[in-house]
Amino acid sequence: MDTQLTQTSLSKSATRAASSGFRRGTITKVLTYVLLIALAALMLLPFIWMASASLKLDKDVFRFPIEWIPQDPQWENYRTIWTRIPFMTFVMNSLKLTVIITFLQVATSSFAAYAFAKLDFRGRDLLFLAYLGSIAIPWQVYMIPQFILMRELDLVDKHMSLILLQAFTAFGVFLLRQFFISVPNEILDAARIDGLSEYGIYFRIMLPLSKPALATLTIFSAVFVWNDFMGPLIYLHSESLKTIQLGLRMFIQQYSTDYALIMAASLVSLVPVVVLFLAFQRFFVEGIGTTGIKG
Amino acid sequence: MGTMKLTLKAASPSKRRRQLSKNLVAYSFILPNLLGFAIFTLVPIAFSLGLSFMHWDGANEISWAGLDNFKALRDDDTFNIALKNTLWYVGGTVPLTMACSLGLAVLLNQPIRGRNFFRTVYFFPYVASLVAVAVVWNMLFFPSAGPVNELLRTLGVDNPPRWSASVDWAMPTVVMASVWRGMGYYMVIYLAALQGIPQILYESASIEGANAWQKFRHITVPLLTPATFFISIMLTISSFKVFDLILVMTNGGPGRATNVLVLHTYNTAFRQFKFGYSSSIAMVLFALVMIITVIQFYMEKRWVEYSQV
Amino acid sequence: MTKWLSRRTVKMLAVLLAVLFALNGGLISGGALAQDEPITLTMSAWDVATTPYWQAVIDAYEAQNPNVTVELVDISSAEYQDVMNIRLSGGDETDIITVKDIPGYAAMLTRNQIVPLDEFVEADGLDLSVYSGAEVELTYEGSIYALPFRSDIWILFYNKDIFDAAGVEYPTNDMTWDEFDAVARELTSGSGADKIYGAHFHVWRSCVQLATVQDGQNTIIADDYSFMAPMYNMVTGMQKDGIVMDYGELRAGNIHYSGPFINGQVGMLPMGSWFIGRLVADQAEGIFDFDWGVASFPVPEGVEPGTTAGTLTSLAINDRSKNKDAAWDFIKFYAGEEGAKVLAETGNLPALRTPEVLEIFASLEGVPAEATEALQTTTVRLELPMHPQVGEVEQILNEEHELIMTQSVSVEDGLEETTSRISDVLE
Repeated sequence: MDTQLTQTSLSKSATRAASSGFRRGTITKVLTYVLLIALAALMLLPFIWMASASLKLDKDVFRFPIEWIPQDPQWENYRTIWTRIPFMTFVMNSLKLTVIITFLQVATSSFAAYAFAKLDFRGRDLLFLAYLGSIAIPWQVYMIPQFILMRELDLVDKHMSLILLQAFTAFGVFLLRQFFISVPNEILDAARIDGLSEYGIYFRIMLPLSKPALATLTIFSAVFVWNDFMGPLIYLHSESLKTIQLGLRMFIQQYSTDYALIMAASLVSLVPVVVLFLAFQRFFVEGIGTTGIKG
Repeated sequence: MGTMKLTLKAASPSKRRRQLSKNLVAYSFILPNLLGFAIFTLVPIAFSLGLSFMHWDGANEISWAGLDNFKALRDDDTFNIALKNTLWYVGGTVPLTMACSLGLAVLLNQPIRGRNFFRTVYFFPYVASLVAVAVVWNMLFFPSAGPVNELLRTLGVDNPPRWSASVDWAMPTVVMASVWRGMGYYMVIYLAALQGIPQILYESASIEGANAWQKFRHITVPLLTPATFFISIMLTISSFKVFDLILVMTNGGPGRATNVLVLHTYNTAFRQFKFGYSSSIAMVLFALVMIITVIQFYMEKRWVEYSQV
Repeated sequence: MTKWLSRRTVKMLAVLLAVLFALNGGLISGGALAQDEPITLTMSAWDVATTPYWQAVIDAYEAQNPNVTVELVDISSAEYQDVMNIRLSGGDETDIITVKDIPGYAAMLTRNQIVPLDEFVEADGLDLSVYSGAEVELTYEGSIYALPFRSDIWILFYNKDIFDAAGVEYPTNDMTWDEFDAVARELTSGSGADKIYGAHFHVWRSCVQLATVQDGQNTIIADDYSFMAPMYNMVTGMQKDGIVMDYGELRAGNIHYSGPFINGQVGMLPMGSWFIGRLVADQAEGIFDFDWGVASFPVPEGVEPGTTAGTLTSLAINDRSKNKDAAWDFIKFYAGEEGAKVLAETGNLPALRTPEVLEIFASLEGVPAEATEALQTTTVRLELPMHPQVGEVEQILNEEHELIMTQSVSVEDGLEETTSRISDVLE
């Protein structure tokens, strides 16, 4: 990391430097890009492997040394995934759950986070500690009591069970609290003097100022729900309700696993995630820093 | 918080009413989340924590155990191994991931061509299927013909490590995989936080003749402390709870070389059906994490700088 | 602080536990049903979308019993037993529970989640000896809790082309493990990507350990594991000499046994009979084109040929089921003659092996001619015997197997450690 930082610092100072330093600046700039590209290659490896595996016959997927470009690409794998299992149904179910849960999570978390970050009230620290503490308990330990609860509410094998379990998370509250807390109090006080209620401040000031944070939570939450396997595994068993991650598992059978089809289906299932990430990217460059508001 | 209580005591009735309505407004903000959170998370958690003082096989009567489960922990080899492994994993993963994610975020906050591309790509490992991650990582570190060992051999290492197939190297291999997978995720948080730093601070620092390192040290780092605080806590907690990655990469092996607390919790519950005992392991994990978190919170006041801009 | 803990907290926890358990206390009832009343049974299963026999047997049953509908509860196979455990602990009422393996059977049986079937068996005068020994293996403390419907045995798969190229005779049905070792060494040739391995051991513990209990002197749950040393010495020796692929790499590379065999990289593969179906299907699709054959599982010197190990899939009735009589009628059909025929027709070996059923299986398109002989067995031992702590024991066996096979410990030390850890568990 140190080298990365020095390199960027160098390249920054180089732009201001005299002509003698110019060549050194170009070199560090080149080095920076080489580093960035090398890192990107390392990050992309699993996807390249997935793409290559998805075009192979199952018997060749784990053959070593790896054949990165399949000699005889099996394009029909991409057709098979839609016909062998009701993949479209699973995509729709995952979409439905992801949209509903993410919306509820961002809405309720940001609401609660505002109170934790900017309002003084009785029991705040204790409550916040309870939120934090809950993150520290592994989910595997309390999935049985949760299941008992859901069965009593007659929600097993219904989407509602997952929505209720995942929409109200401590993680979202904590994440947004940390962002909200760094919004200068002066802005809020000024708004209070202007007669805005706390609700008004939340909607008109906090939310617009926190787009990067809200975008972050949206991405994290959507990725979590989209990729969640254990939740749907325990709660959903009707084919018409299952999600993508359960669908992928249908290619893993008791005595054989069709990795080529799994990888094809996984890649297809990643498309929405990548689209979402790209769509929300622009919010990372649209924060307080660039909108010109200062404390 | 402390000062608030003091003012409450000395307050006049009208002031008290104002505080009450302030409380109500605050509760109204929290309620929608708290309601669902309390019913579907806190209640089940309380139940399973209570179980740590009970014997339960998951089907028959529950019976009182007192501290038996906790006493049994002392003689449980696997628990001790798992505890040690977990600490190892946390100690390796947390600092490395934090350093790498901050580095990436700062690097990608520069005006670099293709910035959006790189940002997306660095986030990728986090969304990739865990199976693919495990496969690719194990392939890079494949003992006989993997690229890493090929490189080491050309560099003159005659007997390169057998990585995940060796008792001594399995944990470092998992730690590296987890850093590689997690740094893009935390980079996103850092990136979002970097947007909150007013550009004008850098501009005025430049006018005063500060160099890039000085600006990083005196503007970026302090203003990122809320995010750093959040990341350090979340990363510590999630590293203590590591499960999925271990499961697909090594399943705790070879032998018990990468067995960790949550894996042991899971096995005692679902292989051995000692749900009470399993909860007591989770309690130890919980206590450990909470001690560290509370310490972090106390230290927060010393080093985290909130909205001093 | 401690006082506060001991009073308020304990009281609150007690209330909480009471509430949750009051909620959880499902009613237990048998309930005889009128003959024609419409009834819906639920049955847990795995891989429903890709395994034809589940629904095929149900269709056959529903055709004979128009008032009954059977619904499948589909759970992904790798996590099946874990999910069943969570659900049963949470009060699930699925009527018919499919038992995937012995640890799962032991777990549900010892915790009274499934009911003994003795009364039903007696009432219907059912003769369980048709299951040729499987019924004995499933009996625990004098009662049987599940009826077997599918049973696979371990056999030896081999690549005829590799044998022909090396000029070696095909394995016979009375091959010993020593002969297996010698033949594997003869078949091994080449290097790098073209290397032919004489044999292949998959990473499962059972691949090595099953051979150590064939003689009937010991079982997998033992108080001294030194009897496993000869087999481990043989396999690790083959590994050192490059006769079989390296265990650590198979594990790290997540390599499924079908890959090396179908790619023609290995001469012999000891594996379960379930693999026949896969090979038949792949060959029909033209995925590989070499000749393959099957022989009986090799035996240790002096053990009667045809002695092998097997796995059972069986059906049990949930203790919380409200339709126990109807459920019994269904599992009797499923595990009986008619269910067995459907299984054989779909390329699976049923637990009920009448000559007629075996004939259906052997005459399926693509099944090698040797199969009829190779599938004849004299003694079938369960992969894992029924024991209340079998799950815990199995975990230790797996861990120590990994250490021995990655050569992290010597065979002797590893088995000694196994002995001491398992005797701690069994006390």
